[in-house]
Amino acid sequence: MEKGGVEHEITELRLGLPGRDVTEKMMKKRGFTEMIMTSSGSNSDESGVVSGGDVEKINESPAAKSEVVGWPPVCSYRRKNNCKEAWTTKVGLGYVKVSMDGVPYLRKIDLGSSQDYDDLAFALDKLFGVRGIGVALKDGDNCEYVTIYEDKDGDWMLAGDVPWGMFIESCKRLRIMKRSDATGFGLQPRGVDE
Amino acid sequence: MSEDDEDQSPATDLRSQPPCSPNKSRNCISSSQTFPDHVLENVLENVLQFLDSRCDRNAASLVCKLWWKVEGLTRSEVFIGNCYALSPARLTQRFKRVRSLLLKGKPRFADFNLMPADWGANFAPWVSTMAKAYPWLEKVDLKRMFVTDDDLALLAESFPGFKELILVCCEGFGTSGIAVVANKCRKLKVLDLIESDVTDDEVDWVSCFPEDVTCLESLAFDCVEAPINFKALEGLVGRSPLLRKLRLNRFVSLEEVHRLLLLGAPQLTSLGTGSFSRGDQSQQEPPDYAAAFRACKSVVCLSGFRELMPEYLPAILPVCANLTSLNFSYANISPDMFKPIIHNCHKLQIFWALDSICDEGLQAVAATCKELRELRIFPFDPREDTEGPVSELGLQAISEGCRKLESLLYFCQHMTNAALIAMSHNCPELTVFRLCIMGRLRPDHVTGKAMDEGFGAIVKNCKKLTRLAVSGLLTDQAFRYMGEYGKLIRTLSVAFAGDSDMALRHVLEGCPRLQKLEIRDSPFGDVALRSGMHRYYNMRFVWMSACRLTMGCCKDVARAMPNLVVEVIGSDDDDVNRDYVETLYMYRSLDGPRKDAPQFVTIL
Repeated sequence: MEKGGVEHEITELRLGLPGRDVTEKMMKKRGFTEMIMTSSGSNSDESGVVSGGDVEKINESPAAKSEVVGWPPVCSYRRKNNCKEAWTTKVGLGYVKVSMDGVPYLRKIDLGSSQDYDDLAFALDKLFGVRGIGVALKDGDNCEYVTIYEDKDGDWMLAGDVPWGMFIESCKRLRIMKRSDATGFGLQPRGVDE
Repeated sequence: MSEDDEDQSPATDLRSQPPCSPNKSRNCISSSQTFPDHVLENVLENVLQFLDSRCDRNAASLVCKLWWKVEGLTRSEVFIGNCYALSPARLTQRFKRVRSLLLKGKPRFADFNLMPADWGANFAPWVSTMAKAYPWLEKVDLKRMFVTDDDLALLAESFPGFKELILVCCEGFGTSGIAVVANKCRKLKVLDLIESDVTDDEVDWVSCFPEDVTCLESLAFDCVEAPINFKALEGLVGRSPLLRKLRLNRFVSLEEVHRLLLLGAPQLTSLGTGSFSRGDQSQQEPPDYAAAFRACKSVVCLSGFRELMPEYLPAILPVCANLTSLNFSYANISPDMFKPIIHNCHKLQIFWALDSICDEGLQAVAATCKELRELRIFPFDPREDTEGPVSELGLQAISEGCRKLESLLYFCQHMTNAALIAMSHNCPELTVFRLCIMGRLRPDHVTGKAMDEGFGAIVKNCKKLTRLAVSGLLTDQAFRYMGEYGKLIRTLSVAFAGDSDMALRHVLEGCPRLQKLEIRDSPFGDVALRSGMHRYYNMRFVWMSACRLTMGCCKDVARAMPNLVVEVIGSDDDDVNRDYVETLYMYRSLDGPRKDAPQFVTIL
């Protein structure tokens, strides 16, 4: 096997943090791969949304080494099931089940990847391929659907009333109902007191 | 356990037209022979039926038009390594009597979140076409495909004799789809859901199996993240006398496994335990789990062990001596827990585990498992800068103790060239060598040199090597070795390696059997890409992400090679004129570019 001057050069460069300058060159190229890294780290499309606000600028310091998408190459199934993240932390990830009237299948959404009700609205739209669910969160009157959620006490509440932070902490699951079925949730036309 | 992505023979060579030369005298069959064509056809049909290997069948089909036609009539199992290499219509036109389909979709790097969701690989067009063309379809085996509940429903309704459904690394469906299959496929023998993303639709699918005796031989649902009706499962196992393989999910507790084993254990050859811990820590004495395992006289393959409570692990001791396959890769087992177990596993051939067993555990494997063929060590903590409980010491021990090793996947933080060189000499049977040094660009941690010599030794001395994945600090020299010695390599995975275009050129020019090439974050650019143009029609796919390719060059390649589909993934709308290519995925195709490409894919 050949030996050459190249080897010596390599050892010289690598006495410090390995591959630092090479790493920096490569960091510049990672625009998209960084962008697609959702907070759940999952490759399922159930959370649906990559919020614009989450895109990180490429960090050129060595600390960024640990943020490379898909490295080490452990497949996403295995990462999800890694016993290090005991199944109890799945709750902590903010996944809640979402059902929609008329749709036979449940979906799951990661509340942690939305920033506010608008984000959540957009994500729900994408999840079910329907326009206008989102609107229901804020403007009760204007559309066919309303979104309700089950809170920690088991009560069903209308989404959108409480501050976002409080909402994601207490929301256990979501349901999208037809407005016409949603009697008893205190939905009133605007301007009428409850 | 999930199958490794390995083929023994090149992908189906589905040419658009059969070779023409019916008049050449060296062909044994021509229009001027004495027997009428249909008699000859019958004879040929009866003979070709015995050909199983698709390599042989591909060769036979090239003899002449008649052989092409008859081979097409007699091929019952079709393998399609890339679902976009051809259209479903072409499949049904050429092969008339298919009973079994193996279909692969997304490229492997999609598993590592390097591709956005919704890229494609939809099963829908395949199932709808086959529903009309293959009423006698019995088996479907999919890998990395997007399968919906509707697809599963159509499958269940369209094929009355359907027997085997195997879904590996698939997504898009849920327990409602599974329920339809369970209910309608009355001849179902195999239902294997492996490493797939299955939505919990809150459907009791286990209860959907028909109430009489079933034909089930294999049921694997360890990846289904949903509670199941245990009573229904017990009933199902009780009325499935042919059941040999059962892989449970983590919602089945150890007590429940215990009950199942006492019910149906003597026939089981493969068992995937559910959760290996007690649900309620009640005051009662725990059941005698060892007794349950003692009843498993035929079990040779053991997996599962999710949520392991280590004190219960010794329960499996009664079966260890028979085990040929053991998967601990979801269990955090320390060396002390591990050694007493492995000490009994003399017949072990396949072993998967987490690196929590440490070098010490690997030494124990090396001391006992002399028949070991396949070893996979996964990282408990898959990050770059952790301590790393396994190293070159474990690898060295394995190479010395397990001389029959054929397949290796090893994640570690540190490695040395010396250990790789030793392995290359000690394990000449190696066909698969995948080493992942988790720290990018990390050199030999003893000598400080690049890992060139170590990988060089592997390609040079392991003469049967067909699959290679490299890591650590690698210069162009490593690739020079690959090109010079890697004559049988079919699959090559490269990440953060090489210095220049020459590296990739060495491989493209030197490895004649290369089929699947996946590269990320390496400094290979246009010159390298162009150097492989003589090869791309003979390859299944090329993946290059975060390299140095330009749009211009990719367009040139696309123009020069009309049967190559060149996908550029991830260009923003704003940057449509941007020259830099983030991800290139290209593959040969008989039917041109696909029609279902999402917005973020640009087909050149």
